[in-house]
Amino acid sequence: MSLRLVEVSKDFGSFRLAPLNLTIERGEFFCLLGPSGCGKTTVLRLIGGFEPPSSGQIWLGDRNMTHFPPNERNVHTVFQRYALFPHLNVFENVAFSLRLKGTSKTSIEEKVRDILRLVEIETLADRKTTQLSGGQAQRVALARALVDHPEVLLLDEPLSALDPALRLKMREELKTLCRKVGSTFLMVTHDQEEALQLSDRIAVLRNGNCLQVGPPKMIYEDPVDTFVAGFIGPVNEIHGELAEDLGEQFTLQCTLGTFKVKKNGTPLPKQISLVLRPEKMRILRQKTAAENLVEGQVLDICYLGSRTEYNVRLPGTQFKVFEPELERMKKKSLNAGDRIFLTWKTEDAIVLRRVESGT
Amino acid sequence: MFITWLTLLTLLPFLMILGMSFMKKTTGGWIALEPTVGNYARCFSWLYAKVFWKTIVLAGLATLSCLLVGFPVAYYLAKAQGTQRQVGLILLFIPFWTNFILRIYGIISLFGNHGLLNQTLLSFGLLDNPLQILYTRFGVYLGLLYNYLPFLVVPIFSSLEKLDFRLREAAQDLGANRVQTFWKIVVPNIKGGVFVGSLFVFIPMVGEYVIPDLLGGAKEAFLGNVMVSQFFVMQDWPFGSAIAGLLSVLLLVALWLHHRWGFVRPVGGIP
Repeated sequence: MSLRLVEVSKDFGSFRLAPLNLTIERGEFFCLLGPSGCGKTTVLRLIGGFEPPSSGQIWLGDRNMTHFPPNERNVHTVFQRYALFPHLNVFENVAFSLRLKGTSKTSIEEKVRDILRLVEIETLADRKTTQLSGGQAQRVALARALVDHPEVLLLDEPLSALDPALRLKMREELKTLCRKVGSTFLMVTHDQEEALQLSDRIAVLRNGNCLQVGPPKMIYEDPVDTFVAGFIGPVNEIHGELAEDLGEQFTLQCTLGTFKVKKNGTPLPKQISLVLRPEKMRILRQKTAAENLVEGQVLDICYLGSRTEYNVRLPGTQFKVFEPELERMKKKSLNAGDRIFLTWKTEDAIVLRRVESGT
Repeated sequence: MFITWLTLLTLLPFLMILGMSFMKKTTGGWIALEPTVGNYARCFSWLYAKVFWKTIVLAGLATLSCLLVGFPVAYYLAKAQGTQRQVGLILLFIPFWTNFILRIYGIISLFGNHGLLNQTLLSFGLLDNPLQILYTRFGVYLGLLYNYLPFLVVPIFSSLEKLDFRLREAAQDLGANRVQTFWKIVVPNIKGGVFVGSLFVFIPMVGEYVIPDLLGGAKEAFLGNVMVSQFFVMQDWPFGSAIAGLLSVLLLVALWLHHRWGFVRPVGGIP
């Protein structure tokens, strides 16, 4: 039973969600990723039934649920601040949807206990919701939404209210939960690391537009524009003009020099951006005869244990470079102010048409 | 400083009344310092118990009506935003910026035999004789309802406002329709505020004497009237004090219930 959005749009006057087409397969862990105000929560609310779309249809399997109220969709939501019912204890909160359906007492008991066990809060069944920690409340919200095995589970930035350690732990648990329960998980987040770690596929949104949909690897290595590239991970950008055509490569002319650019099979305009990921660049202590070489000066060094981050000053700009510990320890240590060379492999650079930055 | 004023102006008079309620009345309207519970016993006698009962029933009906009428108003106000809400609140309270007696006379001019309502109905030929609303129990009921309505709207509105709308969305998300959401989520969470608000309308209603006096006429004697007449007509201050004492007990019960029920619960979730 796939979830399909067909030309779904929403007009709020001050904000518009452009017509969106999306198909999400059963059991997928799908992330809506983007900066604040990009429309990702709007999409979630449209699917949940809390707002009617201005146009388009929403299908679940072969049911057109575009105009169904929230209680008639087989879709449940984990709200950002959980919205647990304060007048009911944990057990009753979780049992809520089952009681509405008139499920038998024994069946309710069994199902609630099962889901509480799955999210590891069995012992909290009799607790009042006001006596729960953030992490516990979140698990209750999950249990409540999953107890009757909905087709789709919507999660609105579920981890944003948790402290970092708990957040990391819950990320893994969410993924496991998705696999175990078999429901489709649709999560809204602005944390690109979260999206990369958890998703089967990601949709990147900006200003009400869906820019790209694809698996994490594709979004990371093959972003559709410099915004997506910069949002999904740290980047260094070079802007320049394509000059010579060398068959399989172009040369790129820019203020930093001349570099080789790989052809990616699509027609490229003259003005392009070259996106270089910090981890795909190498710091050379001495000049070598490499294909792409830039001279620069180390501004500052940040030792992070498994890797070291360098800010390097280049003519007219600054680059971030990551050096893994295994490499760094084999070479001469660097200090701020040292003159060094940066290089990268031509095929590691991402070639994109130039796009204006800023949200 | 505040304690001094509180003691002087509130506590002392109350204690005096309480003290008086245990005394006996003598001829000429004086008080004999012989402690007795006879006054309280008399409160429970058939004659006065009837008045008690009549008053409580009427106050109860009026409170219930305030609830039925007031709830939709409070609901609308809670849902309204910005200007709409402000206008609504102002409209609700404009009458209360006028004098209380004037408000009562407003009712008289509306519902009296020569009032607006009767004149309209008569001129349209819908009635042959004017409706007798004033100087009946119904008139008193109307006066109570009109006068106390905003005082019940406010606590209901306040409770509704504090209720996180996301709880309603969560309920619907989990399968509840509007009716189910109302009874299972809204009502349990505003129960406390509504109950307390009702109590703080009911208690004063029981003690009311101006409204029954002006709108009920001489034949409708309610508890308030009886109590006041004990002081000013019958010169039986101890007995009047006993009635006042019983009313105070009612008030204390209300305060205690407020203490138990009136807390606003936080939204469930992040503590």
